[in-house]
Amino acid sequence: MIKNNEKRINRKAVLVSMILTVFFLLFAKLIYVQIFLHGKISNAVEKMVKCENIELSKRGDIFDSKRKILASSVKKYTIFLDPKIVKDFNKVRDVLFKNDIKIKEKNLNDFGKISYVPVAFNINADVVDKIKNEKLRGIGFESKYTRQYPEGRLLAHILGITGSDGSGLEGIEKTCNECLRGDCITTKMRRDGQGRIIQDKLVDKTKRQGQNIELSIDSTIQFIAEQELRKAFDKYKAKKAICIVQNPKTGAILAMVSLPDFDSSDKIKDIKVLRNSAISDIYEPGSTFKIITISAALEQGKIKLSDSFYLENGRYKIAGHTIKDDHKIQGYAPLSKVMEQSSNIGMVKIAHKIGNEDFYKYIRKFGFYSLTGVDLPGEAKGLLMDVKKWNALSLPTISFGQGIGVTALQIINAFSAIANDGILVKPSVIQSIEKIDSTMLDNAFESKEIRRVVSVETAQAVKKLLKNAVDFGTGKSAKISGYTVGGKTGTAQKVDSLTKTYSTKYYTASFCGMIPAMNPEIVILVIVDEPRGISYYAASVASPVFADIAKRVVQYLGIEKDDVK
Amino acid sequence: MYKLFLAFVLMVLSVFIYLWQQNTSIRFAYKVSNLQAEYDKINSENDFLRLKINSILALEKMDKIATEKNLSRPDEKSIVYIDYDPLAQK
Repeated sequence: MIKNNEKRINRKAVLVSMILTVFFLLFAKLIYVQIFLHGKISNAVEKMVKCENIELSKRGDIFDSKRKILASSVKKYTIFLDPKIVKDFNKVRDVLFKNDIKIKEKNLNDFGKISYVPVAFNINADVVDKIKNEKLRGIGFESKYTRQYPEGRLLAHILGITGSDGSGLEGIEKTCNECLRGDCITTKMRRDGQGRIIQDKLVDKTKRQGQNIELSIDSTIQFIAEQELRKAFDKYKAKKAICIVQNPKTGAILAMVSLPDFDSSDKIKDIKVLRNSAISDIYEPGSTFKIITISAALEQGKIKLSDSFYLENGRYKIAGHTIKDDHKIQGYAPLSKVMEQSSNIGMVKIAHKIGNEDFYKYIRKFGFYSLTGVDLPGEAKGLLMDVKKWNALSLPTISFGQGIGVTALQIINAFSAIANDGILVKPSVIQSIEKIDSTMLDNAFESKEIRRVVSVETAQAVKKLLKNAVDFGTGKSAKISGYTVGGKTGTAQKVDSLTKTYSTKYYTASFCGMIPAMNPEIVILVIVDEPRGISYYAASVASPVFADIAKRVVQYLGIEKDDVK
Repeated sequence: MYKLFLAFVLMVLSVFIYLWQQNTSIRFAYKVSNLQAEYDKINSENDFLRLKINSILALEKMDKIATEKNLSRPDEKSIVYIDYDPLAQK
């Protein structure tokens, strides 16, 4: 009995000691894992659980002055396959086919040993959702923002284009790339055992998005200008055509069209179409430049409105060259007649009264041979020989707009200075840049007065001359009913690149005008480069386009009629 | 004995509360994560629809449709301007 009890006690002791040993070993292991392996294990867990996602933020939108979207970014997806994980390839192919996605490969083996095979690009979110609902294995989705331009060709040169990485390459997209693009968004997350994501740190994505930009461009005016200009561009089979509509008081560009153009959403095949001729191309302005000569002479008191000029019966020899007038005027003619009939000889005589130095000073004062500072890339400053290098023909030819290279924007800005009672204003395309919290940047894009070019009296006198040029002179076809119009035609000879002399075949026809004539609210410039057809004269090529655009724009803007006759 | 039991209950309770709040915070984290994903999705859907509306209302397209339907621009004299103040009706 005693022996049995002793045995039982021994067994118990052995059992207890075994259990204690097991617990001791477990405890020892626990200490080893928790203390000695702590760092290694926690690092491994961190790697498994934590993940970081870096994505590009949404690029800011571009709006017109009426808050209509001109450019925006939307999320599009790339669908890819991992052939190593795909189980039922036929099902995957069928599901994709149902959603208009075709896969060339017939078997999984056709893919080779690649783990990433993109099968469709730029897929909309709704299609991706449909595919996701099928819960297929081995199919993945990558999101990326894609730039979209809902208005298509409209404003292509102003908006520009973006590259495949989303950065701006041309137009506003390039100028404002820093504001538009925003920051990269890094999201830190944790994953559970099933791979589900638990948000670790909430990131306010809106704060990192690109800023929105509001342009001064009115898409309706832009559309009108583009439609009417395209008609003339096609009709005259022109090489190029340009139209700019500007508010002379603020300098705000309401429309800017350059033809030929392109669609920002399409692939650009010919890089030449990207060139915004309105700011990058230089041309000889011809008679539209005469307002500079007249303004300078009036401002300096060298001529008066009542002065008359002998117009040499239409032919004037100077420095071995003969300057001709298209509209021959016999004997003397008053200043208004000189302007109305666009007399080159009259202009030469006025320029001689000003003199080289002062004329050069006024050309520069009006902003020629300087950048206007418009918020668009690729602006040219024009061509003008230094006054010290001028020869005997420089002053006479420049006085009627030959022998000088200007941009369309410089010409309209000079007309706007006259329309604005002598004050030159910086032209602008951007109205405002919106901050994330919806407040606007202070004064950054308000109209900026550059300088006073001529006095109010001179500007008023020039406006009167421009009105007469439309009422009684070469600009008659620019008249619109109910409104007074002031403007000037310009038919400039182009230099033949082969002969290096002025061509008798190639011309640039232009018209720049303001409405209403004496208190202008808009200034419009139309240029048709190398028109082909019966006539190349600005009066029959450019002025009618101006009238067609002006008619519709004044009606759209609700500008009050000022010509009751 | 009673005090020992009470201490044990309190200890169990505090462990239970700790585990409950840990569990709840994880559940909420899932919920927040899902809602965030849904918000992002709705946001991008909204952007897409906004763009679609703008594409449909593009002036060039409208003009094309109008031309197809033989609509022409009215003569200026046949347009009647009415002074309409939407606030005056209220």
